[in-house]
Amino acid sequence: MTAARVVDAVKTYGTGDARVRALDGVTVGFPGGRFTAIMGPSGSGKSTLMHCAAGLDTLTSGTAWIGDTELGALGDRQLTLLRRQRVGFVFQSFNLLPTLTVAENITLPQDLAGTGTDREWVDALIDVVGLGDRLRHRPSELSGGQQQRVAVARALAGRPEVVFADEPTGNLDSRSGEEVLRLLGRAVHDMGRTVVMVTHDPVAAAHADEVVFLADGRLVDTMADPTAEKVLDRMKAFDSSRDTGRGTAPRQRVTS
Amino acid sequence: MSAPTGPARASLRLSLSSLRAHKRRFAGTFLAVFLGVAFLAGTMVMGDTLRASFDTLFANANSGTAVVVRSADVVTVPGEGQGTREPVDTALVTRLRSVPGVAAVAPAIEGAGQLVGRDGEPVGGQGPPTLAGNWIDDAGLNPYVLAEGRAPRTSGEAVVNRAAAEKGGLGLGDTTVLRTPDPLRVTIVGLVTFGGEDGMGQSTFTGLTRADAERRLMPAPGRASTIKVRADSGVGQEELARRVAGVVPHGVEAVTGQQAADENLDQVSGRFLSLFTTLLTVFAGIALLVATFSIHNTFAIVVAQRTRENALLRALGASRRQVLGSTLAEAVAVGLAASAAGLLGGIGIAAGLQALFPAVGFPFPEGELVVGATAMAVPLGVGLLVCAGSAVLPAVRAGRTAPLAALRETAVDHSGASRGRALLGAVLAAAGAAATVAGAAGTPQVWLTSAGAALVVVAFVVLGPVASSYAVRVLGAPLARLRGVTGALARRNALRSPKRTAATATALMIGVAVVSLFTVFGASLKATMDRTVDRSFAGDVAVTASGFGAGAGGLSPKLAPAVGRLPEVATAVGLGKGVAEVDGGGRQLTVTDPVALTRVLDLGAVDGSLSGLGRDGIAVSRQEADKHHWAPGSTMVLAFADGARRRFTVRAVYQEAGLGGDYIVTRTAWEPHKVQDSDALVAVAFKDGVAPDDGRAAVQEAARGYGNPEVQTRQEYAESAASGVDIMLTLVYALLALAVLIALLGIANTLTLSVHERTRELGLLRAVGQTRSQLRSMVRWESVLVAAFGTAGGLALGAFLGWALVKASDSAGTSAFAVPPGRLAVVLLVGLVAGVLAGWRPARRAARLDVLRAIAAE
Ligand SMILES: Nc1ncnc2c1ncn2[C@@H]1O[C@H](COP(=O)(O)OP(=O)(O)OP(=O)(O)O)[C@@H](O)[C@H]1O
Ligand SMILES: [Mg+2]
Repeated sequence: MTAARVVDAVKTYGTGDARVRALDGVTVGFPGGRFTAIMGPSGSGKSTLMHCAAGLDTLTSGTAWIGDTELGALGDRQLTLLRRQRVGFVFQSFNLLPTLTVAENITLPQDLAGTGTDREWVDALIDVVGLGDRLRHRPSELSGGQQQRVAVARALAGRPEVVFADEPTGNLDSRSGEEVLRLLGRAVHDMGRTVVMVTHDPVAAAHADEVVFLADGRLVDTMADPTAEKVLDRMKAFDSSRDTGRGTAPRQRVTS
Repeated sequence: MSAPTGPARASLRLSLSSLRAHKRRFAGTFLAVFLGVAFLAGTMVMGDTLRASFDTLFANANSGTAVVVRSADVVTVPGEGQGTREPVDTALVTRLRSVPGVAAVAPAIEGAGQLVGRDGEPVGGQGPPTLAGNWIDDAGLNPYVLAEGRAPRTSGEAVVNRAAAEKGGLGLGDTTVLRTPDPLRVTIVGLVTFGGEDGMGQSTFTGLTRADAERRLMPAPGRASTIKVRADSGVGQEELARRVAGVVPHGVEAVTGQQAADENLDQVSGRFLSLFTTLLTVFAGIALLVATFSIHNTFAIVVAQRTRENALLRALGASRRQVLGSTLAEAVAVGLAASAAGLLGGIGIAAGLQALFPAVGFPFPEGELVVGATAMAVPLGVGLLVCAGSAVLPAVRAGRTAPLAALRETAVDHSGASRGRALLGAVLAAAGAAATVAGAAGTPQVWLTSAGAALVVVAFVVLGPVASSYAVRVLGAPLARLRGVTGALARRNALRSPKRTAATATALMIGVAVVSLFTVFGASLKATMDRTVDRSFAGDVAVTASGFGAGAGGLSPKLAPAVGRLPEVATAVGLGKGVAEVDGGGRQLTVTDPVALTRVLDLGAVDGSLSGLGRDGIAVSRQEADKHHWAPGSTMVLAFADGARRRFTVRAVYQEAGLGGDYIVTRTAWEPHKVQDSDALVAVAFKDGVAPDDGRAAVQEAARGYGNPEVQTRQEYAESAASGVDIMLTLVYALLALAVLIALLGIANTLTLSVHERTRELGLLRAVGQTRSQLRSMVRWESVLVAAFGTAGGLALGAFLGWALVKASDSAGTSAFAVPPGRLAVVLLVGLVAGVLAGWRPARRAARLDVLRAIAAE
């Protein structure tokens, strides 16, 4: 079963000469209980894909689904409710509200919903994240890695159907990055969650069960059971194909 | 040293480009300065225009009068405008006619006459004077001009000014009553104008034949208030005045018409206009003070938000002075633009009022709008000063930005709530409160109270940031429980920067403080009047001339005896007013029957006896007696307006001044010095067993023949005495609305800036599932919390200062202090609702935010 998918997804930005096709007919599914990485060169549409799949943005054409729900049919309010109940987010930075404590940040979506939190589950999460002694601290008192771990805990706290992470380790050194990635891995493999992660880093991608490659807004390849070397090789091949001019211009303009 | 033009221009360019980029941020500042300056400029232009119009009006109306002959002695009671002068003998007229250079002479009789309209209600009398006099046939000596009909010829004929006739529904040939205060039946034979207008301001004028006027308005025939003299062409006023002065007897003086007109003008512009414009200027000042806090806050936030930008500039080699200069230049530019716009707006307001006033029946004299240099320079300067002054501290802070700040993440600011500030604030507050209380309690020392009050205000401002943390925590506590995480977030946001919250709330606090100060003061004033009536009025009903102040016409002295003869009535006592000087200062005397008085007024403990005051006895209140060290048996001298100095023996000292006033004399004692006889109040006590309604009806019936004055129960009498307070309060509220509006603009502006600053946070909240309505309500609740803090602080401050004002202005120790809970609750409610309104737009803008853009924003 796919936790989230997009079908014939097209997303264009701007109009006229400045028109950009960020997604150009992408069809991809993210299977439940799996850790999927999205890779591709800068500007290839990774973030756009993630935003559209998660209901943060709407597609120009095509459909996006979370479970059996078609997102295009939902209004702003329903999308918001969907995000807080069925989707988790981890961004590259600025994941936490500076005015709330660690504990409050973790349960924020449930508090916004006014539903109670599953204490046992949250305690277990906090245990896994390893920040039990920092619950009353403010984000500004944590390191970048710790902040990202709190963000992961927040994303998982509501047992969402799928967690989207956009370069969650982009701002971290390799050691803290490794901790966050291991955490995401445990969420999938030990706790049965679904994670979709955008990354530039082959080492990060190696934590995933599967990697999908984007280029110029198109799905160009997928790779199961990735290792850092295999991913790196694929990326290099991709770069060289680009250098030899097999790819088109980095940004495809629509000329009609 | 190199020419400063290069770098200076660079910093100017910086500030202009930043202004262009952040137009919205300064919209609030612009509006605050604009409103304050417009108010100030409007007031000044209107004042100048009114003054100029009155100037021409009086000059034109009195241009024919070269010399005015009048009694030299004048007794002025503090608080009453025109002094009282003894009338002059009209026998002088013939002697004046023979003075060379005199073209015409006419006695002028001026008194009070309350015209009764077609519906039986008095015309005017709610402040502006109701005048009556003799109709002077010499057009040069008469400021009024006959517009319709003819002059009064026989007794009982009268002319009235056109505005009064219209208001009373009276026309030519109609017969009505003029209370002088004895009712006089008059037939209107002519309508007159004054200086081309239908009347002199809101005052009413009735012109009678000379004989009627002498009989009704003068103590005896053959007297006139003044004698007016017109000069032959070619004879100067000064010259003629000198000649006339040579023939008048001792105690009579001759002044030029110019001087008399100037004195009259002073009366109008000095009392009414000055009071009016001073009042408006004070409120414009309050509005601008509130604006200062709002504007300071805006600049402080803008500078804080620009820390990185400024640090980058510093890192790139901009000097401190350039960074400071660019911020200041921004403030000056905003100030200049807003003040200029405000000046135009103010002129517009004045022009609008000039057009509007006549439409609502207030004749605003016609003429060009007078926009003097002062009226232009002062608002412009003040607006600029307010704007630049508010920006000085933030600009200095901007200049101090360390280049390294560009690299640091700006942490949450807690600087406001420092211990030093708390300590300083507490010391200031304690010292201020102590001084205020010391000055207000016991014998009032106004300067001590004022100094203390000023200190308390400063302490409130200093303590603001400290107090805001506590107050928001307390006020916001129920919010988290009621509104869940939305409420909790609102509370946290309000707590984030105590300094900012406090500065935002301070503007509102000052506005609300002034509102509650007046509310408390007004309520206390009413309570005092209530208590005065309650304590001192021992009768059943009171008969009063409607209206209050200088315009009230008074009651016929024959009314009290007439009412006294009714079978239902046990006692009816008239209280008249007299004036005399005691120790060089004018004092009001109560002229009455002292023995009967004790049956309807409670004078408290009396030392000595009120019976047998006779021709040379006087009763004095305890307070005045203590001041002058009098006791029963002491003697004192009263100097009357007619120049007579009489020795009086203090026969009684009574405890409660109240309605009886400070000095009581008999009618016999006052008789020789009276001008126009009238009673201000007739106090009536019924016989035992008379039903109040029956008694009242009987009194009303008896009063009908005396111009139908109002008959009121004790309660009604107390209420009508206090009705002026409500009118004053309404006016004050209307004027303060502007200050409160500016404070709310400040809150809205601060919120908008904060929302802008928190774009990423808001985006994150939306991403993890905050609905738009939750976000809106979060911003609005923050606004309400800030407003609640400001309102609560303002209420506390205002109530305390109100108490101090009541106590400090009460040397007699007779004032009541009252806190009206209902009204203050309304103020609190208005403050909270205003908070919701102030948060409306920022909340909507925040909710419209695009989630993705917010996440992407740097
Ligand atoms: N709001 C926008 N307006 C216009 N164009 C946009 C917008 N957002 C993205 N784009 C364009 O769409 C394309 C895809 O952008 P996207 O952010 O999805 O790339 P990405 O793969 O996430 O890149 P990176 O690895 O640098 O984050 C890019 O060409 C980008 O310039
Ligand atoms: Mg991206």
